[in-house]
Amino acid sequence: MFPPNAPTIDRTLFVRFVLLLLLLVPPLSSEAASKNYSLYIATGSVTITASPVTGNGAATIPSWGYTDVAGGPGKVPGPILTAREGDAVSVTVVNNDSRSHNFVVKRVTTDTSAIPAGGTKTYTFTAPAAGAYVYYDSLAGNVNREMGLYGIFIVEPADGSLSAWAGGPAYTSAVSWVVSEMDKPRWNDVASSGGTVNTSVYKPNYFLMNGMNGFQAMGDANTSIMGRVGDVALVRLVNAGQYSHSLHFHGNHYRLIDEDGVRLASFKELDIVNVPPLGTVMVLFELNQPGVYPMHIHTAQMETGNGVYLNGVAAMIAIEP
Amino acid sequence: MRATLKKRVLFLGLPAAAALAGLVFAGRAEAATINKTVCVRNVTKTLSGTNVNFWGFTEGCMGMGAGLVPGPVVEMGEGDTLNLTLNVMMAPEEAAPYNGHTIHLHGLDVPQAEDGVPETGASVSGDTYTFTAKPGWAGSYIYHCHVHTVKHLEMGMYASLIIRPKDANGNFLKQITSTAATAYDYVQNYLISTVDPGYHTATGDSTVFADYNPLYFLIEGKEGKSKTAPAVTLAAATGKKVALRLIGLHSVNARFTLRDSNGSAKSFTIHTRDGRSLPAPETVSSVSISPGQRYDILFTLPSTSGTWYPQVEFQDLWNGNTYTGGTVYGKITF
Repeated sequence: MFPPNAPTIDRTLFVRFVLLLLLLVPPLSSEAASKNYSLYIATGSVTITASPVTGNGAATIPSWGYTDVAGGPGKVPGPILTAREGDAVSVTVVNNDSRSHNFVVKRVTTDTSAIPAGGTKTYTFTAPAAGAYVYYDSLAGNVNREMGLYGIFIVEPADGSLSAWAGGPAYTSAVSWVVSEMDKPRWNDVASSGGTVNTSVYKPNYFLMNGMNGFQAMGDANTSIMGRVGDVALVRLVNAGQYSHSLHFHGNHYRLIDEDGVRLASFKELDIVNVPPLGTVMVLFELNQPGVYPMHIHTAQMETGNGVYLNGVAAMIAIEP
Repeated sequence: MRATLKKRVLFLGLPAAAALAGLVFAGRAEAATINKTVCVRNVTKTLSGTNVNFWGFTEGCMGMGAGLVPGPVVEMGEGDTLNLTLNVMMAPEEAAPYNGHTIHLHGLDVPQAEDGVPETGASVSGDTYTFTAKPGWAGSYIYHCHVHTVKHLEMGMYASLIIRPKDANGNFLKQITSTAATAYDYVQNYLISTVDPGYHTATGDSTVFADYNPLYFLIEGKEGKSKTAPAVTLAAATGKKVALRLIGLHSVNARFTLRDSNGSAKSFTIHTRDGRSLPAPETVSSVSISPGQRYDILFTLPSTSGTWYPQVEFQDLWNGNTYTGGTVYGKITF
């Protein structure tokens, strides 16, 4: 085991040390468990905060969303659902809205039938391969999804290890990014007041990161990539919108490890990730130099919130030495 | 940022700095330092008969000559150091808080002090941006202004930055990367961009910037609406290898194809993407280019003479429809 000229060590002490480590680390369980979620569909609103640079851009967008709070307003995006690979997942969806809705997990569930107003439906499925998935309401020709009915479903490896999948690349911290858009005047204002959206025209004027405008997202600890040099962040990214989102990382290239559930045999090193509508990707970002760097969309109008600069799709990367 | 560099040298101490310089000199005798200064000037482009004002980078800093769109290409070798200075004297600009300009070295993984982002501390009054290209970085990049990028990129403040592999004597190799399989006989940049004239007159925070309606579609700053009036041309010899650098500065979707005179798609091989070699080269018959992306592709011309048309279709972000007038042609005769 040891090279002949290696310094001798006290093997008993070594074994004791290893045993102590084993006691300190909670055992990794690979037993499939049950994960039960209740989601309530309700109306709500998305608050857009003003640019602190110019004071422009505050707005309130009427929305619909899933929430884990019975009787609460809908959240945009909906709650993060997590499970471990192989878990028995049960999601009970209560439709507290006056319109029909549903709940679909892309690449996981197939039932697209409606839950009528006031109705309840329970979806059961086995947590699939570790990765990122998007859940959403598939009804009403994208209107329900555009209104905010979407979220991310995260599947971790069965053993609960900090790796993208069992035996896959390891990470030290993880963030999830749900990107989307809203066309306030033509879709949200119309649908929320009971009107019929002309779905042949879509000109979104708000571009959201985790349901937030850029300045909120850049100040959000759960959205930022934070850590020290040497750390590796796993980003689970889903696009719940109807536009492709072309996201650019400053500070370092990232490694593309999974696209729409397809794990790459060899990881590509890139600085732009372009996620199509309802696409999902996983990327690894190595924190390799100290500093503060933006991650932002590179598509002009999508960098704004109704034309207010930097209030579109963005996040921050903060790296300590 | 020169101040930062000086501090680092002082910190290391002169002996350490000298030793370090000696090591670098001994190990990579071919490494060069490239000093370049660019300014910003107005330039009017006539697009489909309409005059549109742009702000372009130019090396002509002594007077009020026109800017270039795209700006001057920066070409450097792996191992080389670039000092790219932005001089903002007499530069056209917006009113505060979006006044001034910077340079962002897009894709070059520079430290925060060289990143050119005003919101993380970059000066908007001119600066020198420095980095050394690491081995393995051969490929295509961009330098562009990072002040109010929505407005300033639309105004044309962008240019290609190309990193090339070098031989042991410090000469550029005619290859995309240090891998011999990427050798080419001809190379051209295909920097693609779009123009919404409304963005050229709007300023600051404006609802104009919430909606993008491009009217003009460019390769290397030129329209090329038909095969008879291509944006870019190349006269090549039969059987030779051609590399194209596809560089996305547009704000919609785009699809690149390479077609013969009958319109049949020809396959090509992607060797690098975003300035990095792909784990394995990918041979395809079309590629989507998203805003900010770069692809370095390679193909071999037929052994009999003819004409091929590299082309870019600019597509609506929502429905994927190609815009009216949104197909831009290049032309390769051989």
